[in-house]
Amino acid sequence: MTDRTDPSNSAFTHADDELLPCGRLVSRTWDDWEQQTDDAHLRSCPHCRDAVRGLDDLESVVRGLRAESADTSAYDAEPLTRRIMDVVRLELRPGRPLPLGEPAEDLWIMEAVAARALRAAAETVAGVRAGSCRLVDARVDGTDGTCDSGGVRLDIHAPVGVSLPELTDRVRARVWEAADRELGVVLASVDIRVTDLVAGTADDGQEGRTP
Amino acid sequence: MVGARTQSEPPDTRADTTAPDDALLAVRAAEGDEDAFAVLVQRHAAALIRLATSLLGTGAEAEDAVQDAFLSAWRRLPEFQGRSSFGTWMYRIVTNRCLSVLRARKPVAPLEAAGDVPAAEHATSPARITEGRDAVRELREALDLLSAEQRACWVLRELDGRSYEFVADAVGISQEAVRARVFRARRRLTQALGAWR
Repeated sequence: MTDRTDPSNSAFTHADDELLPCGRLVSRTWDDWEQQTDDAHLRSCPHCRDAVRGLDDLESVVRGLRAESADTSAYDAEPLTRRIMDVVRLELRPGRPLPLGEPAEDLWIMEAVAARALRAAAETVAGVRAGSCRLVDARVDGTDGTCDSGGVRLDIHAPVGVSLPELTDRVRARVWEAADRELGVVLASVDIRVTDLVAGTADDGQEGRTP
Repeated sequence: MVGARTQSEPPDTRADTTAPDDALLAVRAAEGDEDAFAVLVQRHAAALIRLATSLLGTGAEAEDAVQDAFLSAWRRLPEFQGRSSFGTWMYRIVTNRCLSVLRARKPVAPLEAAGDVPAAEHATSPARITEGRDAVRELREALDLLSAEQRACWVLRELDGRSYEFVADAVGISQEAVRARVFRARRRLTQALGAWR
């Protein structure tokens, strides 16, 4: 009880508990207070009322502390975000390099970078939000021997109330085009999985977002 | 009687309804998309700073704890399965980071005093303790008398209004253990503030 880190996480210990003159434990009286139990004894017993008054007084100070803590709602997250992202961008997270160009060429792109470009392309279709985007490297994952046979598996959230076959065709076309134009890769396949249908928002009019 | 508590999930800090939701951003970040992670950081930083400040008591330490927690999250994101929301996951990581900081602190009071805190003379009047900023400052000081676990459980339950179930999950102990710690914390705080006896 005198240490600052409690050794045991097991059962409720009553080491600090106390029997009130009315025969009730403080812990029970406080439990009833917390659960707002409607108990005639609690209302009439002066000892229990005393014990509860202590908590009520504590609660009123806590409200003051809570109000002061709430002041941080105006907290400017920008500097902290910048500091965190500076470290994140310096860290080399293990990622897959994917080959670009002909097999003999020593030209690579990290999967995460390629995926970001393809997600952005998918999101140019109105209401579409892209999630997981995995690139299948034919030279690694397949047997064809050329990078042109690589494919993409893309998860999207689609807007409700639109024709999904038409929507996915458009997404596929945009992804295809971006892979060709921005990455110089001709994709063998673009597999699209609709993982959620979401209500459209005001910004999701006829035009999607520009990448 | 004042005993009601909100039992909600961490507040939804999404301000921009056109941006992808947390789940999508977390998937992207797990696949190495730094920009997606930056949006998550920006979105959750303020709420987590508030939590860490409540747990630790100082803003500077809170920023360090939240920064460490986000970097830890970035490294562990590939294993984040989305069983809870990203916000709840971060809440848990920040809580545990703050617990480590609290455990490493030197006790501010003699050990004997932590078990039986005498009421400060100027605070013995029950009416006195509800008087504004002084009482809040005294409460802040009294929080330093609690053990790391008591403080964490009390802050999440009392100050942040979480359910016992939520606190147990965040701290990684049983609900019974959380109840015991909250009870002991209340005993010490009411004694320290002279709010009761």
